[in-house]
Amino acid sequence: MKKSKLLMLSTAFVALASAPLMAEDLVIGLATAQTGGLAPYDQPNLAGLQMKIEEINAAGGIAGKFPIKTIIKDTRSDSAQTAMVAQELVDAGAQLIITPCDADPSIAAGMITQGAGIPAISFCATTPTLPLAVGDYMFSNYPADNVQAAMLAAHAIEAGYKTAYILTSPDTAYTLKLPQYFGQVFTAKGGSVLGEGTFTMGQQDFGAEVTKIAAMDPKPDVIMTSAYEPDFPAFVRQLRGAGVTTPILGSDGIDSPTTFGLGDLVEGVVFSTAGHPTAGSPLEAFNAKWTEKTGAAPDTIYIANGYDLGNIIEAAVTAADSLDPAAIREGIANLENLQGVTGPITYKGTNGMPLRSVSLVRIKAGDRDLVAQGQPDPADIPAP
Amino acid sequence: MDIFLQQLLNALSLGGTYALLALGLAVVFSIIGLINFAHGELMTVTGYAVCFALIWGLPFPLAVIAGLAVAMTAAFLMERVAFRPVRGASGTTLLLTSFAVSAILRVLFQNLISARPIPVAIPASLSGVVTIGPLHLGMIQLISIIVTLAMLLGLNLFLHRTMAGRAMRAAAEDFAVLRLMGLRANSVVATAFAISGLLAGVAGVLWVAQRGSVDPLMGALPVLKAFIAAIIGGLGSLSGAVAGGFLLGFIEVILQAYLPESLLPYRDAFAILLVITVLLFRPQGLLARKTLVKL
Amino acid sequence: MTMPDNPLLSIEGLTVSYGAVEAVRGIDLTVRRGEIVTLLGANGAGKSSTLNALVGLAPRKAKRMEFAGTDLTGLPPETIVRRGMTLVPEGRRVFSSLTVEENLMLGGAKHAARGNPAQVKADMLERFPILAERLHQKAGSLSGGEQQMLAIGRALMSSPDLLLLDEPSLGLAPQVVDRIFDLIGNLRDRGLTILLVEQNVAQSLEIADRGYVLANGRIELQGSAEALRSSPEIQDAYLGA
Ligand SMILES: Nc1ncnc2c1ncn2[C@@H]1O[C@H](COP(=O)(O)OP(=O)(O)OP(=O)(O)O)[C@@H](O)[C@H]1O
Ligand SMILES: [Mg+2]
Repeated sequence: MKKSKLLMLSTAFVALASAPLMAEDLVIGLATAQTGGLAPYDQPNLAGLQMKIEEINAAGGIAGKFPIKTIIKDTRSDSAQTAMVAQELVDAGAQLIITPCDADPSIAAGMITQGAGIPAISFCATTPTLPLAVGDYMFSNYPADNVQAAMLAAHAIEAGYKTAYILTSPDTAYTLKLPQYFGQVFTAKGGSVLGEGTFTMGQQDFGAEVTKIAAMDPKPDVIMTSAYEPDFPAFVRQLRGAGVTTPILGSDGIDSPTTFGLGDLVEGVVFSTAGHPTAGSPLEAFNAKWTEKTGAAPDTIYIANGYDLGNIIEAAVTAADSLDPAAIREGIANLENLQGVTGPITYKGTNGMPLRSVSLVRIKAGDRDLVAQGQPDPADIPAP
Repeated sequence: MDIFLQQLLNALSLGGTYALLALGLAVVFSIIGLINFAHGELMTVTGYAVCFALIWGLPFPLAVIAGLAVAMTAAFLMERVAFRPVRGASGTTLLLTSFAVSAILRVLFQNLISARPIPVAIPASLSGVVTIGPLHLGMIQLISIIVTLAMLLGLNLFLHRTMAGRAMRAAAEDFAVLRLMGLRANSVVATAFAISGLLAGVAGVLWVAQRGSVDPLMGALPVLKAFIAAIIGGLGSLSGAVAGGFLLGFIEVILQAYLPESLLPYRDAFAILLVITVLLFRPQGLLARKTLVKL
Repeated sequence: MTMPDNPLLSIEGLTVSYGAVEAVRGIDLTVRRGEIVTLLGANGAGKSSTLNALVGLAPRKAKRMEFAGTDLTGLPPETIVRRGMTLVPEGRRVFSSLTVEENLMLGGAKHAARGNPAQVKADMLERFPILAERLHQKAGSLSGGEQQMLAIGRALMSSPDLLLLDEPSLGLAPQVVDRIFDLIGNLRDRGLTILLVEQNVAQSLEIADRGYVLANGRIELQGSAEALRSSPEIQDAYLGA
């Protein structure tokens, strides 16, 4: 709560708190959401990134010579506003721009930054076509939808499921494409998709859909969906309420305390996520550090994900050994096997969507049980 | 046939929630001509109240009562602080004021509570299934049908059997003349807001029970649905709002159930199309009230 | 205490403006206890505006505005009505979706202090047997004359001292109009003071004690009913002599 208030203030008094621009400052412009529908994703990412930036600056800047300076502007989760803010940040001299956790506003901002020749990284957009839509100065910072889908499909086959039902929502690329990628890989690996249901996001009503699933004959072995809050909890509640006990596969959107608060309803659900704090892992250490600093355990992987964005920036600028935006872009594009707190991160050889480790987690008695971790077989990953 | 019956039950449950929400909008609109787009934020406030009451250790039923009390108080305060100063202003002014209230509340929730959803510990007993012959009903679905019917019945009794209720009906017809009866305009309006708050609170609890969390923007979609339902019913008509809510629920469920898979992604477009068709034949809505004379 | 011949209602320099439209432009008006005073004038002269302003429903300004010794300035309609002055508005405006009984109940809702509502209601139903018959019918289903009776009955439920009537005969059949005028005379006989706005000049001047003639928001003529009836202006303009 304190943290959020601080964020709000930092938005209001853009960069007032820090010292005037120095010649050797790396200026990072944040065109991200403090309010609106993307705030739940952008805010924790920003908090993690800021922690990393503080650490860097305390050590005298990147490679001891490039202190970081941030200019934070609220996009209000609006694409047009994001483009406007991106332009302001470019004008203010940012050498690197961070865009929101969603492809649409990131593309809007990307149109500006690509033209200006300034690299842009989305906090956590997962749509694999994002860099294709913008160009070589656009990157994201999260395992892409097709990568998560491939991991989930491999798991489904391994678990012995022969048939699946997918539930999509045309409202976002994430809720539509991820299950469809899953279906593609699942079919390619010998499974078959019995049907595709749809829902409207935020509607919370699955009565009609669930009745259809309950009446299916034969029943699918597994149901896969990328629905997240509030839809996912409402869906499982209504599905189980209709007496359907079919196993469920989900994606990283449901990695939230709400899901774990659903008790028996979600017992056995398996979902993909960006990291899992196994004993002795860097993520466990990060979580401990965060808890010590803020007094509360991180409630979402996005905090560590934002921290890793800091790691990426640090590594890229160190490699570039320059604050020239083109050199920084080169630095990011050539990162290979960078050890982040969420796992290894590689941009080299990709179009800008990183190769990152995906964890599959099973919910067991309200806790996490690691099922698999790593990167899927590249041959399995469907083309975006 | 069983499936059809099951879908009817689903429609009843969804339509009921829409009816409660639309009724909340209509109660206020019928009296002061305000479409309160901050109605959704009253649901959100209720959700946070229930959530914090549970964290604080109150048992679930008490937390629900606390949530409803907070909803009514919030509605009351909204009227005092934001809407009373612009009472009698043009429809546009009222509408913009309510948008502003809604936007301000959302930003406050995001920055003072959390931008991320907060889980609400819904008791496990509410996750059960009720089986009636071939029909399955989730516990919350069943409760929502029962609660909706009870609320509609209760509101009906209030409107017809108490002086405050009669005053509300009269105010909806002719507010100026009601004042000539010596009834205070402010208390009639305050009553309307309190009732609207209660309706938003009940809908909010049902909504949160389904989703298991509260987030700052959760009121946005329901208020939109309520608005559509109220328009179908005829803005300002209470029975129209109820009819509109149920009709919208039925349209949505039946389309979801019987549209071919390839057309399903366009379900909402079809629903809006049907709504527009209804309005083409009845531009004033299903149960429109005669235009009122106001001084 | 108010002296017996102190006016019940006394107004000086009343103006009513709706934005740029000045409907009433500074009029003086007095009504004494027990009188029927009539306010006459053509369409749009400002009669309704005057009555609405008196009860606080129209935007008003006045040099002085006193009712039964109290200042009316700034009081909202509900308070004015509770002090004992009420209006039967133009066009009756009964609550048509409520029953006759509910209309009456609302009329008496806040006036237990001024009289015993049960007693008042019993009197009312005796005076208006038609309403007693239609007690549980929707007010909207009554005929025009019945609705006018109900509107008057509803206003009487507050046991007022001064009753403002805005065109009670509007749109009614001649026999019904006669009944309404009978009723008004009857009410005065029972001690009620009445300020009557009418277009039916002949009948009004017959039962009134005094009258004012309003034109373009100004008082053009005033005097005893007798004097007005014989004034050439009234003869020409209204009585078609
Ligand atoms: N609410 C209002 N807003 C603006 N102008 C108004 C309003 N009410 C009345 N007027 C105007 O004020 C003037 C006086 O109207 P008012 O109704 O007082 O006249 P009246 O003497 O009662 O007429 P009638 O015999 O037709 O009832 C008219 O020009 C009318 O158009
Ligand atoms: Mg008039």
